[in-house]
Amino acid sequence: MVDVIKKNIKSVQESLFSSVGSSVLTIATSYLVLNFFRGMFGFIMSSDKDWLAVLNNMQLYMVQAYPESDFIRVWISVGLTFVFSGISIGLWRSEDRSNISVIFDRFFKVGLGLLFFTIVAPTFTSYMGNDGSVITEEVFSRSTRLGILIPTLIGTVGFLVLKNVKINFSYNNSDVVFLYLFIPVVLIWFVKLPVIQLDENRDRIMPDPLMPIANTTKIPWSVIFVLFLLSYFIGIYFKDVKRLKNIMSISWFLLPLLIFSWIFKKPVIEMNEVLTGDIPIFVIFFVVGLLVVLFINNPIVKKYYSIYLGVVLVGTLAGVFISIPMLAKACLLLLSLFSMVVPAVSTSTQGKRSLIIIWLVALVTLTFLLRGGASETGIIVPGSSIFGGFSLTWLLAIFGTYVSFPLGVMLALGRNSKLPIVRIICTGIIELVRSVPYITWLFFASVTLAVFLPAGVEFNLIVRVLMVTAFFSGAYFAENIRGGLQSIPKGQYEAADAIGMSPFQKTGLIVLPQALRAVIPTLVSSAITAFKDSSLVTIIGLFDFLTIGKTVIDNQSVPVNFVGHQRENLIFVAAVYWIFTFTLSRRSMKVEKRLGLGER
Amino acid sequence: MSIIQAKDVKKWFGDFQALKGISMEVAEGEVLVICGPSGSGKSTFIRCINRLEQHQEGEIIVDGIELTNDLKNIEAIRSEVGMVFQSFNLFPHITVMQNVTLAPIWVRKKSRSESEEKAMELLERMGIPEQANKYPGQLSGGQQQRVAIARALAMEPKIMLFDEPTSALDPEMIKEVLDAMKVLAEDGMTMIVVTHEMGFAKEVADRVMLFDDGQMVEENTPELFFDKPKHDRTKLFLSQIL
Ligand SMILES: Nc1ncnc2c1ncn2[C@@H]1O[C@H](COP(=O)(O)OP(=O)(O)O)[C@@H](O)[C@H]1O
Ligand SMILES: [Mg+2]
Repeated sequence: MVDVIKKNIKSVQESLFSSVGSSVLTIATSYLVLNFFRGMFGFIMSSDKDWLAVLNNMQLYMVQAYPESDFIRVWISVGLTFVFSGISIGLWRSEDRSNISVIFDRFFKVGLGLLFFTIVAPTFTSYMGNDGSVITEEVFSRSTRLGILIPTLIGTVGFLVLKNVKINFSYNNSDVVFLYLFIPVVLIWFVKLPVIQLDENRDRIMPDPLMPIANTTKIPWSVIFVLFLLSYFIGIYFKDVKRLKNIMSISWFLLPLLIFSWIFKKPVIEMNEVLTGDIPIFVIFFVVGLLVVLFINNPIVKKYYSIYLGVVLVGTLAGVFISIPMLAKACLLLLSLFSMVVPAVSTSTQGKRSLIIIWLVALVTLTFLLRGGASETGIIVPGSSIFGGFSLTWLLAIFGTYVSFPLGVMLALGRNSKLPIVRIICTGIIELVRSVPYITWLFFASVTLAVFLPAGVEFNLIVRVLMVTAFFSGAYFAENIRGGLQSIPKGQYEAADAIGMSPFQKTGLIVLPQALRAVIPTLVSSAITAFKDSSLVTIIGLFDFLTIGKTVIDNQSVPVNFVGHQRENLIFVAAVYWIFTFTLSRRSMKVEKRLGLGER
Repeated sequence: MSIIQAKDVKKWFGDFQALKGISMEVAEGEVLVICGPSGSGKSTFIRCINRLEQHQEGEIIVDGIELTNDLKNIEAIRSEVGMVFQSFNLFPHITVMQNVTLAPIWVRKKSRSESEEKAMELLERMGIPEQANKYPGQLSGGQQQRVAIARALAMEPKIMLFDEPTSALDPEMIKEVLDAMKVLAEDGMTMIVVTHEMGFAKEVADRVMLFDDGQMVEENTPELFFDKPKHDRTKLFLSQIL
């Protein structure tokens, strides 16, 4: 034990006080950090601050004005996402195990930090009163300090002992996720914070009993946690079914579309239109696609392939000018793209089978999206945006990344293509999008985009913003990925050629996986940038997370007055942004490490 | 019956002529060693045989198929001709097993289990079955090159091309790769080997060729090539490397 302490002291000495310069630096930095922390603590604790402004507006922060009667849609979507995650974590459960001492070590470090901050926290703080005088008050009494210090000290020492005792118990690294998630779920039942309550005259009753935080959400969260756990076990149970992994990957791709239309549009669907329009069109196109897949490589049919392709292409072009249902136009476009790929792929039974599945999924998605998108929405909210706050920020970040990533991959490959026309188009899109500031694109979305869309097609502002965002980050992704593509040695292409791989296989199996791996750090930082930049949408009148905190809440006077509480809200917003981006970058470091295995 | 026929093959890189009319034949089951100074066109020539490079004049016929721009022919050739590179060119992001089964599964459309069985056999033949689940980056150079040979063999080629397979290796690893190649030769594989390992040439080759400045200078049996070379150029070359 004494040796351990000696060793630690020595390593501290070496890393912090190795020379005069580094000693000075260490002392100066500690002084700054300490002061910053003490100031922050005083700021947060002073009675001048009304944190109720944050606590009481959680709902506004999360979904803005989304109608409460439709919250069930949000909960189901969140639940579905967790179920999918649970199954996926189970299916891809890692075999890595860690010794229990890792957990003890983590708790020990948390305890150590807590101890440190409890000791250095200031007892008094001062702030400027309304009349300009400086008011000093006690914010951290000795008894509170001791009340925190003693249990923390006991806990910390306990964990220190535990982590140094050799316990022969190891746990699976995937399982432990659930332990960590279990802690907040339990906490929302027991930790209590003040919440404003109003009586029937809408007068404030204060200071009424402390309520558990997240009072209205504790049941849904608990249900979701249980579902999450259950789906994890389901995933583990079916771990060896390879097909399920493929199905899961495709489902992940479709999930955002479903959630998007489910939360965003509560489509008021006319069954009549579906029966007489959508279903016949769907069936016709499905059958045509099916026939193409099955018979195109028949030598007799093959002769007429170019005639067929010509007819479809002309039909697609004509579709732009003549008035046929939107779905038929879209299906024609899809069919012409599909028909170009089919002959090369449908050479084997396996290829045919996957083509048919792809065709079916694509058609279903398209029909679903167009029907959902073209129908009236059943969600009525004041203003132009269905929701705002964190869900808007999240939507822009996730959906933006989701769509822009494949778009970026396609643009990058297109820019490297041997076909001049493809190369020119892709380069053009990338350069055009990148040379105009994001804010300009946002204005374009809110003011100009409607002019470029076909007549009769109208999208909500949020959808238009999503469209430009997808292209904007897509162009950046494309350039990152192109960097990755260029880092792949020529020998890799030659080796793939030499074993007879087709250009598609070469790209999909050899080049892209390596290129993407090489650019994970830059991709993550692009995604983080997209997340943070989403706050710019405030310029075109959408209420993102930051705007809610900075403007909306600060203007609230009924039923409770929160005017003048911008600072509390800004700190809260900053903290939330930080937690998410920090977690994301930590995760990516882990992924990078795991994928890096091959390149060692 | 010769399995490879090359007639007056010429190849230019821009203005620079790398091959100045190469004619040769290789019989089925024959082991041919090509040597020559650096930049003499050895790599360029054998890369023309599986169409990694295109020749501009002359003709190359492999197993009765003439090499043209016809994609069908190129595909057919590549599944009959395996190639091993100086710098291994293994795929670093997948395991050894996946490297070896990639082509059978995706190009030959065989089932995974069948391919893995075959791959294991090949890895055993190369003496590295225990490395199957590692990544290429975790192997030594000699082991990597043997994986590369197994990967090429997994396509069940009729011909194997080796482009200086041992020149990126440390001396102590050269032998293990050459031994693996000897086993192949004994099994009757048709091989063209570009190498400076004269010991290998003497022991295994049926014929040895010397390339210089885009031309084939000498072609002979190993005994005559090393003991009684016809050309001064060959004598000079041998005196430089032996
Ligand atoms: N892709 C290329 N572009 C231009 N010149 C090349 C290229 N590849 C090879 N060469 C030239 O062709 C000549 C023959 O090269 P190579 O066949 O690699 O020689 P060797 O393998 O005998 O050392 C060299 O002079 C080399 O510089
Ligand atoms: Mg060479």
